[in-house]
This record gives sequence, structure tokens and C-alpha cells, in this order.
Amino acid sequence: MANMNMIQALNSAMDIMLGRNPAVVLMGEDIGYFGGVFRATEGLQRKYGEHRVIDTPIAEGGIVATAIGMSVNGLRPVAEIQFADYIYPGFDQIVSELARIRYRSAGDFFAPVTIRTPCGGGIRGGQTHSQSPEAIFTHVSGIKVVMPSNPHDAKGLLITSIEDDDPVVFFEPKRLYNGPFDGDPNKPAVPWSTHPKGQVDEGYYKIPLGKADIVRAGADVSIITYGTMVHVAVAAAAAMNVDAEIIDLRSLVPLDVDTIVASVKKTGRCIVAHEATRFSGFGAELLSIVQEECFWMLEAPIQRVAGWDTPYPHAFEWEYFPGQARVKAALKTVMGPA
Amino acid sequence: MSQFTFKMPDLGEGTVDAEIVAWHTKPGDVVSEDQLIVEVMTDKAAVEVPAPVSGRVVSVTGAPGDKVAVGSPLIVFELTDGAAAPAMAAAPAPTIPAAATPTAPAATAAPATRATATLTASAATAPTPAAVPIARQGRVMTSPANRRRAREAGIDLTTVAGSGPGGRILRADLQTAAPRQAVADAADTTEIKVIGLRRLIAERMSEAKRNIPHFAYVEEVDVTELESLRMHLNHSRPKDSGSLSYLPLVVMALTRVLESFPQCNVLYDAARGVLIRHRAVHVGIATQTPDGLKVPVVRNAQALGLWEVAAEIRRLAERARANKATREELIGSTITVTSLGKLGGIASTPIINAPEVAIIGLNKAVERPVVYQGTVAVRRIMNLSSSFDHRFVDGYDAAAMIQALKERLEHPATIFIPTVKSP
Repeated sequence: MANMNMIQALNSAMDIMLGRNPAVVLMGEDIGYFGGVFRATEGLQRKYGEHRVIDTPIAEGGIVATAIGMSVNGLRPVAEIQFADYIYPGFDQIVSELARIRYRSAGDFFAPVTIRTPCGGGIRGGQTHSQSPEAIFTHVSGIKVVMPSNPHDAKGLLITSIEDDDPVVFFEPKRLYNGPFDGDPNKPAVPWSTHPKGQVDEGYYKIPLGKADIVRAGADVSIITYGTMVHVAVAAAAAMNVDAEIIDLRSLVPLDVDTIVASVKKTGRCIVAHEATRFSGFGAELLSIVQEECFWMLEAPIQRVAGWDTPYPHAFEWEYFPGQARVKAALKTVMGPA
Repeated sequence: MSQFTFKMPDLGEGTVDAEIVAWHTKPGDVVSEDQLIVEVMTDKAAVEVPAPVSGRVVSVTGAPGDKVAVGSPLIVFELTDGAAAPAMAAAPAPTIPAAATPTAPAATAAPATRATATLTASAATAPTPAAVPIARQGRVMTSPANRRRAREAGIDLTTVAGSGPGGRILRADLQTAAPRQAVADAADTTEIKVIGLRRLIAERMSEAKRNIPHFAYVEEVDVTELESLRMHLNHSRPKDSGSLSYLPLVVMALTRVLESFPQCNVLYDAARGVLIRHRAVHVGIATQTPDGLKVPVVRNAQALGLWEVAAEIRRLAERARANKATREELIGSTITVTSLGKLGGIASTPIINAPEVAIIGLNKAVERPVVYQGTVAVRRIMNLSSSFDHRFVDGYDAAAMIQALKERLEHPATIFIPTVKSP
């Protein structure tokens, strides 16, 4: 066990996979010589060589397309898209090629590609470095979508994703790289060394996709969330003294419906929370499932906490970011007389 | 085109008013002569009143339960002349003084007028709508979980008052509603107007019980021999006769006994302060009918034979139950016998059918072990539970009368032997 932040945990996962499996290659902008803009691949090119850890041109479409070609020919590429905000040039390759190869070839070919990409706000990154586009990818059949909320999960989920024979888009909430963030920007930053999930096994381990983590068990309301909002939800519920059950989905596709349904059936109340914009957000899917599976157990309308339906702003970031105040408002509503 | 006002007819001797039981027509209807238009109730008899003419009903007076005096307008017809076209027959509003009748004119004119007339007409025929619980408007507001709880607990959410925002039903409301609901099923009420025969029964019962100091007297009668006579007669009865019950035998015995107890075969005229002793014995037979208790009368029972009494009781009971008994068949009794047959129980306290002064009740005849001629024997025993108007019948006389009746019933041959007049 070692104290790791999420960058170190991800670095450890890739290090281990490069060492264990010669088919694993890393590729991306500035990931090799420079070690990645967030230092996630620091030292790996030096350790495994330029043919294993590849610096690419600034061309996301090309990065994804090249990864697809490598994967169908036997490699396990781990491609980094420097910011999720830049993933769209590769989107056609992801939707039209990567997601469908197994289907299109009737199983003759498959594409074990992992696309790592930092997402989310809270770093004063403005519209081009703060987006949370995960729902767009959950809508594409054939892609798995993962988003960890802590170093321990990040490492285990990344190893599982790399070993998965199907494409995974692996979102890394960049505000959580260096420490858990409860949504309050005025508090001093907290390092992962203060958090139990900052304790990371240095060796190889996997966390299955499609298995949510119950971060906090509770009886009164289920807060279904993922990524940065896990920590915001924990803080808001504690501040409100609400006995909330907080579920960290960890992967959106596949989705751990069983854990969600069991929780909401237990509590009768539900909030879904994500940083991404509200309209057609992943919360809408969660809400639909809860409604379908738990309708007769619901005490109150399901609440959604999400970003506003605007592009991520340059200014007023903390008015936009769905912080504790918005979670508390939802808690107040959902815990009202029923 | 002319109007005809049909007044409440005199439906029987001394009738001053009659109660509307049910209308079979309403303003706007076209009726033909002799068609049933209204049912009314006099003292005891229900009377079906036919239309005296053919025509269109313009207005009716009185709602079910209302009493209408004899001679006052009951229904106004507009006579249809052969040439009168429907459009012409439509009476324009001004021809009917607004205050004269409670209903609007019959309308076959403009649709709007017709609609108005229909509404008014229904309001007139049902001026006092029953208090129906008003269902909550629209959907009940509550959570799905509460809907499930209500369903599982068998709670009708429309009956639950919501204490939440905007009247939303909360779980707490449901919890307080749940126990109430179990009782509320019992309190799920239906209102039945006390009208017609039921009102008459109610009034008479209250009046009799309030005014008459009842003296109740119960005696047991060994009817073993009466039973064996009854069985014998039933086995050998005329083909067209129904089987005998105890009732005609008791009536027969009673007529004999009353010859010696004329003070029990009496009607009390309170207005004049006179007791009217009757030589004839007109025996009222308390009869349960679908409408309620009726007391048809076996006239001159003292002059009838056993089979005649039995046949008359049967005939009257059938007519009373079919609501066909005439007013004459339902009035004029001088003493009443009441029997609940198998439901007779061991004792009862019958209420006197005023202005009579006595009522004889038959309880259930059952075999019992009794001491009979020095040993315990199984004998058939029937109790007589009777009430007397203690103002006019002393306890001694009442007891003596019942003992005389017991004597006859225990020695059935004496029922058929004329009373020996004491010198």
C-alpha cells in the first residue's frame, strides 16, 4: 500500500500493464517525453521506450483511428485525449468505427482500445478544459464508459479497462487528480493522503466494470452519482445531517442497476447528481431506470442535480458548478413532507 | 289545446291527504289515459293512480315523501287535440305563471328551452337530492409509495384528507386514515328516506308505545295435542287447501275466548273517550312484506270455519306481500295476532295495534322435557307473549283471558265447541 494521488494511481496502472502485457501501448499528445500534461505518463516512455509510449501529433481523429488499427491487429492501445473537450475530432472514429467493429465483423474482430481523457471542471479551465461529455458516449452502443472518483478505484478500473476486449472511454475527473474535492473552492485543497481511497495497492488489481460502490450506506435517500460529485454529495448530506446512501457508479456503461434499485427501494427517495449539463444528461437515464424499477416505492419526485444547460463558463465557475448548495436544495426538496 | 288540472282524488273513506310514493311521469312526458302516473300512499294502502286523460304533463306537485291534500292540484295536463302539432303544443313560458307551479313548462320547442325544461323538471321531481358524498375533483395527489401503501391497506385515497402542500396526501395521513378506514367501511352510509309505509309504521309504533301503558304477559302452552291435530288435519286436508300452521288454530280459539272476554275485543276512541266493544272479531294478522309490516284483516273470524280462516289468512298475506291489498283489507281489525313462526323465539313484547287494546304473540313451538302427569316427558311447548292496554284491560282479566286461550289450545277439541254462556 502506498499513498497515491489519482495521477500516480493511473500511472501505476499503466506501468503495471506495460510491464505485464507487451501488447499494451500508450499514445497521445505530449505523453511520452513530457510525461503528459497532467503527468499521468511521467517516466513511462523512459522505462518502456518510444515504441511503447508514443507521442502523437495534435490530431485526435488520428489518435483514435490509429488506436483502432493497432487494436484490431493485436495491440491494446491506451490513447490519451488531453482534455475531454478535445475528443470531438475523434468522435466520428469512436462512434462509427471503434464502437462497431465487433458488431460489424460479426465478432471476427474486436477493438480493445482504452481512451483516457481528463474531464470536468473546478480548475478554472473555462469552456475548453472543463466539459463532462460522458453522456454522449453512453448513448453510443458498443462503448463502455468509466469514471472513477478516487485513486484506488482509478487504478483498478483502468487495469480492467485495458484488459477489456472492447473499447472503453475512461473519464478522469481532473479536479480529483490531486485530492478529493467537496465542491467548496474556498477551502484549502486537501491531498489524497488524507483520504482512505488515497491508499493504493502498488501491485496489480482490478475493479470490475458495472459494479457501483456504496460510498456511504444510508436509510433516507439515495444519491446516485459519479466522479467529482461523489465528494460533493457526501459533504452536502453530512452538512444537512441527512442519512443518505451515496452510490458511486464508477462505470456508467455497464451500469449497476441492481445496486441502484436496491438502494432506492430501501430509501424511497432519490437524487441523481452529475457535473454535466442537465438536459439529456446521464441523470435522465438514471431517473428513467429508477422510475421504471422503483416507482411504487417512491416517496417523492426524483431530483436531478446537474450543471446548467449552457457551455461551461469562463467566469462564475462556482455559480455553474453544481456544488453543495444545489445538492442541499435537492435534499431539502426530496426530504420534504411525503 | 287546453289544460286539465287533475286533483288528488279521495282514495278512501275519510282520507284527507295522501303521500306521494313515486312519480311515474315528469313534466314534458306525453301520457295516455289509464297509464300509471303516480303511486300514493294513504293510511295503509298504496294506490296506483292512472292518468285520467291523455296529454302532455305540464307540471306535477309534490316530491316522494310529500303529503298532498285531497282536492289540491296534483298534476296539470295539456290536452293533445288531434290536430295539435308538437311545436304548437309547446307551452311558451308566459302561459304558465312562474310561481303557480314548481316546474317549467313542457318543452318541445328550441333545444335550449328543452334543456332548461329538462333540468328544471328533474329538479322539481327531486327537490331534495340525497346527500351524496362528493368525490374529490381530479386526481388524488400523493406519492407512488403512498399509492402502494393505500392499495395494500385497502384504503380508498379519495376518502383521505391530505395535510401536505396543496392537499397532498402524506404517509402520516394514510396512517391515521388506515384505522379509520376499517371503521369507515361500516360508516359507509346510504341514506334512506323514511317515507310511505315505513313512515306510517314508524309513526304508529311510536304513538302506540308512547300512549299505551303496555302490560306484557307470557304463558307457556302445551301444544302437543294441538300439534297432533294439526298433523292429522294436514294429512287429510282438502286438495286445494294449503297446510295448516298454528295461526288459524289460534285465531279460531281466540274468537271463542273473546266471547267471554269482550273487554279485549275493543277499539278505543280517544277523541270521544269511548271504548267500542265489537261483537264481531276482526283479527289483524301481522304480516311481514317486502315493504314492511302490514296487518291485513280476517273479517268476522268468529263466523268462519278453520279452513276458511286458514285460506283467508293465506289470501290476505299474499295480497299484502304483493302490495295488492286494498285499503279495506288493511283496516278495521279489533284485535291482532302476531307470529314470527320459526323465528318466534321464547318470548316477545308485541306493540299493540292501536286503537285496539290487545295483541297476541305466538312464540316458537319446540319439544321440551317437561313434567307431565308425574313423569318427565317430551312435550311440544309454545309460549304466548301478549300485550294489553293496561288502561282498559286489568292484569287479572288479561291473565284470565290468556289462561282461557291456553285451556282451549291444550284441549284442541274445545276450540270447536261453542262457549257455554254462563247463566
